[in-house]
Amino acid sequence: MKLIKQYKKIVLAVAIMALVSCSHEDQPTETALDFTQPVKTDLDKWIDQNYLDPYNINVQYEWNQNVVEANRFLYPPAIEKVQPALEIIKKIWIDSYSTIGGKDFVKILAPRDFVLVGGVNVNPDDVSNTLGLAEGGKRISLFQVDYVDKKSRASVTRFIHTIQHEYVHILNQTKTFDVESWAKITPNDYSSNPFSITDAAAQRLGFISAYARSNYTEDFAETAAIILLMSKAEYDAFYASITVPAAVTALKKKEALVVQYYRDAFNIDFYALRDEAQKNTTDVLNN
Amino acid sequence: MKTKNIFKYLMLLFLALQLNSCVSTEAEQKFDETPTERLNKQKSELNDLLLSPAEGWKAVYYTDDSQLGGFTHLFKFLPNGRVDMASDFDADTDIHNSQYEVQLGSTVSVVFTTKNKIHLLSDSNNSPLAAGKGFLGDFQFLYYGQENGDLVFRTNRTVKEVRFVKATAQDWADLKKNTVSNANMTGDINSPLFRILETKDGGTVKKYEFNFNSVTRFGLAAPLEDGNAETLKAAVAYTPTGITIKPAVVVGTQSLTDFVYNPTDKSFVATGTNGATAAIKFTNAPPRLTEDYKIFLEGGPQITIGYIAANLSTAATNSPYAKSVLDKVNATLAANQKLARVQIAFNDPLNGNYIAYTFNGGKATIYHFFTTTEDAVNKTIILTDDGWLGGTVASRAFLKVLDDEITNPKGLYLKKESFTIFYTNVIYTYASAATPFRLTNYRF
Repeated sequence: MKLIKQYKKIVLAVAIMALVSCSHEDQPTETALDFTQPVKTDLDKWIDQNYLDPYNINVQYEWNQNVVEANRFLYPPAIEKVQPALEIIKKIWIDSYSTIGGKDFVKILAPRDFVLVGGVNVNPDDVSNTLGLAEGGKRISLFQVDYVDKKSRASVTRFIHTIQHEYVHILNQTKTFDVESWAKITPNDYSSNPFSITDAAAQRLGFISAYARSNYTEDFAETAAIILLMSKAEYDAFYASITVPAAVTALKKKEALVVQYYRDAFNIDFYALRDEAQKNTTDVLNN
Repeated sequence: MKTKNIFKYLMLLFLALQLNSCVSTEAEQKFDETPTERLNKQKSELNDLLLSPAEGWKAVYYTDDSQLGGFTHLFKFLPNGRVDMASDFDADTDIHNSQYEVQLGSTVSVVFTTKNKIHLLSDSNNSPLAAGKGFLGDFQFLYYGQENGDLVFRTNRTVKEVRFVKATAQDWADLKKNTVSNANMTGDINSPLFRILETKDGGTVKKYEFNFNSVTRFGLAAPLEDGNAETLKAAVAYTPTGITIKPAVVVGTQSLTDFVYNPTDKSFVATGTNGATAAIKFTNAPPRLTEDYKIFLEGGPQITIGYIAANLSTAATNSPYAKSVLDKVNATLAANQKLARVQIAFNDPLNGNYIAYTFNGGKATIYHFFTTTEDAVNKTIILTDDGWLGGTVASRAFLKVLDDEITNPKGLYLKKESFTIFYTNVIYTYASAATPFRLTNYRF
């Protein structure tokens, strides 16, 4: 026992020695890394004022190899295309949700990071293009920014489709939709190769677009996003154009689940949101 | 083991550790500065170098010289992170302004951060090779240092060397001329159909069939002599006076790269010393002549070949010039009428040789009879007028532009092709020895 005590003391002494023995090294001085912030351009300031400060959303338009796929041949947007594209997103997406969902809706529930890419993102199948990506609810990548024509309704709608679609994913990642009920509507026609049929053929199966056939999540996002792109009259005409009654029934069931989701999860009147988005789209085209 | 012993060994172990724990950290310094300091230094060095030349930098960027040519870019870096840029990628050689950044990552690199001309090489929507791969271009260049005043980079993704050489005012002024060289090299619908590469080293002449793709700016030269088995590759870049090719064409002991355009015969010629030359020339004569025409001559079997517009109008072997001739003929016809067939019968026991022009829309067939002779040296078959049937001289005038091509006095190169189109019928093409007229036919 005595021996153990003796050893205890020695161990303590050794431990102290160990702690102090190497303490003579130089203390770190100031960092050698360059942390000077780059000078902000007018565009950078505009982004700060319209995205970063009010909504806490960062916009990356300058090329950053770490946020794009290295094996895709993409390029950054032309500098003069950035602000018009962001204005469209601000007006049709942010402003619509803010008006209907509450001032801070987008600030609280938004992707924190936008990555803008100027060129087309052609998929390896050489048939389809990737229009947008939502990663982990935090980052949305938007492609074809250089192609957006503010004066063309078709062009604006196609571009805003991407953000509306990706934002539905982000909402779903926050609060999930009723997957169980959704899965029962058109259970047999989902496909890992959704573009094997046209949009019109997919609509006859009860899907709002060909891409909606990918899986439940994409189906939900496509259904919500595409309804948001149309006016009520356009949407009624869309229903009228589908000649298969079962398909119309399926689409109406899906629409009802979308409306219910927006109401229950976020207390948003989905039809009011659609009307607001339409009003803002018209505003964009007229300005 | 007794507790006592455990402690003893433990103590020994501690002691051993204690003795080792303060080993000197003084490693031998290979450099005077820390890695961070060196990277920072390299970064500011590159920044300063990019900004320094009054006329900026020039880079002929070969994205992959095994399948694509070179694209000339001029850069003038400006102090506020902006860059003026021009290139000969397309007809627009104007200067465009965008942003760039010198970035510190795994190493120091220059990145063109907003769109400019160089990004056209990395457009997945414009891919002449594999789908989605663009022109395999990069616009982030890792800095590898200087060599004889040049800046040496490697591309970020594809690890290809790119050199920035100091540009001159002349480079900026002459860039537009590269597009003229491009047009000369590409040719137009009136350019002869074939090209040969011919090297001369004193008395030794080597000939190659030269196939050039003007989109990828890349050519392949297949040897025409039996003893020569070497196919040459040529990654082409345009210069104000002609082209430069990679790798060099070896003529004797000399390596020739710079070809100068000769507007008189529309050739591109590289000249070495002691009469060594390499020349790329257009020619109406196919580099590989065939004797396929022989069976069509007088005394041969009865054969009919025919161009059928409905099936063959989009054949790749119809030359643009031939299409323009057919368009001219059709343009003279009534709206509901169109040239349906150009059918040529050889050695018909009843009617001899004749071209039958048939039409859609109820217009009557016109026949042009001919006799055949051969040019045994040039290996052509010559169709000589032997009278017409159908219509008057005036009413047949619209056909002259087409008929003159087929019955031209220099003759036709008739070739049996190895592919078929739509039907299993053998395909024959004939090309004029006088013009770039070539039409695709079925053999019936």
